[in-house]
Amino acid sequence: MVSGGIYSGKFGELRKLFNALRLRGYRVIAPKLEDGVIRLKEVTSFDEVPYGWEDIQAPGKYSVREGGKHFRHGPDAPKRILYPPRLELFRLRPDWSVEYPKERFPPTALFAIKPCDLASISVMDRVQGGIGDPYYLALRKKLIIIVENCVEPGATCFCSTMGTGPEARDGFDIAYTRLDDNLVVFRPGSDLGVELLSELNIEPATDEVLRKYYDALKNASLKAKAPFELERLPDELELGLNSPVFKEVAERCFGCAGCNMVCPTCFCFDVIDEPELDGGAVRVRVWDGCFSYTYAEVAGGNFRKDLWARYRHWVLHKFAYWVRQFGVFGCVGCGRCITWCPAGIDLRETIKSVVEWVRSRGGG
Amino acid sequence: MVEGRLIPKPAVIEDVVDEAPNVRTFYLRMPEGYPEPKPGQFNELYVMGVGEVPISVSDVTQEGLVAHTVRVAGRVTEVLAEASVGDVIGVRGPYGKGWPVEQAVGKDVLIVAGGIGLAPLRPVIRHIERNRAKYGKLTILYGARAPRHLLYKYELEKYASIPNTELLLSVDKAEGPWEGHVGFVTDLIPKADIDPERTIAMICGPEIMMKFTIKRLYEIGLKDNQIYLSLERRMRCGVGLCGHCQMGPYFVCKHGPVFPHWFIKKYFWVEQI
Repeated sequence: MVSGGIYSGKFGELRKLFNALRLRGYRVIAPKLEDGVIRLKEVTSFDEVPYGWEDIQAPGKYSVREGGKHFRHGPDAPKRILYPPRLELFRLRPDWSVEYPKERFPPTALFAIKPCDLASISVMDRVQGGIGDPYYLALRKKLIIIVENCVEPGATCFCSTMGTGPEARDGFDIAYTRLDDNLVVFRPGSDLGVELLSELNIEPATDEVLRKYYDALKNASLKAKAPFELERLPDELELGLNSPVFKEVAERCFGCAGCNMVCPTCFCFDVIDEPELDGGAVRVRVWDGCFSYTYAEVAGGNFRKDLWARYRHWVLHKFAYWVRQFGVFGCVGCGRCITWCPAGIDLRETIKSVVEWVRSRGGG
Repeated sequence: MVEGRLIPKPAVIEDVVDEAPNVRTFYLRMPEGYPEPKPGQFNELYVMGVGEVPISVSDVTQEGLVAHTVRVAGRVTEVLAEASVGDVIGVRGPYGKGWPVEQAVGKDVLIVAGGIGLAPLRPVIRHIERNRAKYGKLTILYGARAPRHLLYKYELEKYASIPNTELLLSVDKAEGPWEGHVGFVTDLIPKADIDPERTIAMICGPEIMMKFTIKRLYEIGLKDNQIYLSLERRMRCGVGLCGHCQMGPYFVCKHGPVFPHWFIKKYFWVEQI
């Protein structure tokens, strides 16, 4: 349910909202500055949320500075919370009986995540949720989402092209927008959102505020664009399977799989069996990524022994295969893979080049 | 439940058969509730604390033992190869889509296998043998590196005595007395008596061998929808969750491992897809 209305209040109302979540017993996960990076971590005080800080992102570049108006998403996506990098699944006792780890699904609130990350949760709902991942579903069921709309997208953002931002459309409990230092616009997206907002001092937005809101998000939308269109993109990319672009770009790729790790939707995992002294073993799920050399390796060889083939698989999976598999794109346009690529490889440019190659050959 | 799907259950090794250098078959007494595998399906075999490997079912005996023919090729299979009768290993499965034994009823069946690729096709041979009247001619073309690498040597020649069956063997190198063909298994295709109008082909072997086989089958007039193949990929989870076995948009573990060729040919022939 999306309950439509738009309300405005002062910045202090955000603090009240944060405290209301804590009072209700939620573990609040929010942006938090740590070692010069805005992470997504458990936050116990509103003052830890880095309002007043700004990040500067570019291909292969990331830094933060105090005094900016808007922070954006750092390397951590909600995936890190809902689908942790390392998760003990169960323990097999020596007699093959199964022991599960103790209860570990605290009610969680995601506070001040960005619309692209909200969209990534809806992708995960189709992937992890669709296949019935019990750990994901257990956290997801009790999840509250407070999303911060993006007035100032970063230089690697392309949510506007992917249709995931800069304004959150649905799937949240509350969406808010910081229009200036002391003006915040709120929009409830669920019954719980309405209930939480009832505790704040806010009122229906005036026409003046609405106009400001409209202008801010329209502006932001123009910034967060990539040089390609989604229309027919999966087909065009599949027509580009033999494009030399993948080989050219992969010349610069280190194969570090960092893009897999920061991607808010990459779901591949490996299973590790750790022997125990008593003869039993613990089965652990860890993130894996299609850039790692061993990913497609089998006893008799490696189906993607060359880096360019792994790079192509990743791009095609996100923008073509994913659509065939799950009915949505596997990319939400957050740009993390661009910012955090040590080689500064720009996915947007790769796609643009492949599409150009396809069209130059009369395809597409 | 994902966790439930990833839990191995104990199976007892009831028999071990040495097949070829570095290849052994393990006959397992499966845990209660384990469904009977269809020809072409596979299981994840687990050595406690070591890890899992996807292995095709190579037979289901009259007593209900499920056979897995394992070639030593890595960390887990090295340990598994040391297991002996009475040992307990873990199993999950059966997984994947099997061979089109139902669609092939009333038709001729052509089996083309290379090396260890005969293992997942052996249940098809068994199935046809047990339901002989339901199928037309059975042709088995099987090739290995050398005679000593052929699987199931103790029963291989007997396949030829299944009614209306033609068996042709091939090795890369004879290494001694050898009556069969020396060369590629695909060389056997023109030698066999195959009716392209009424044949369903089932192929398993190294990918390069399967590609040559498909080309040869085209030459004698088979069409894509008559050709089925079983793909090898890194099937870590076996249930379409972990991503490793993807080929194009397909999860080989759940959409395959047996595919009709028309269904995957757009991707199958692309280099390093």
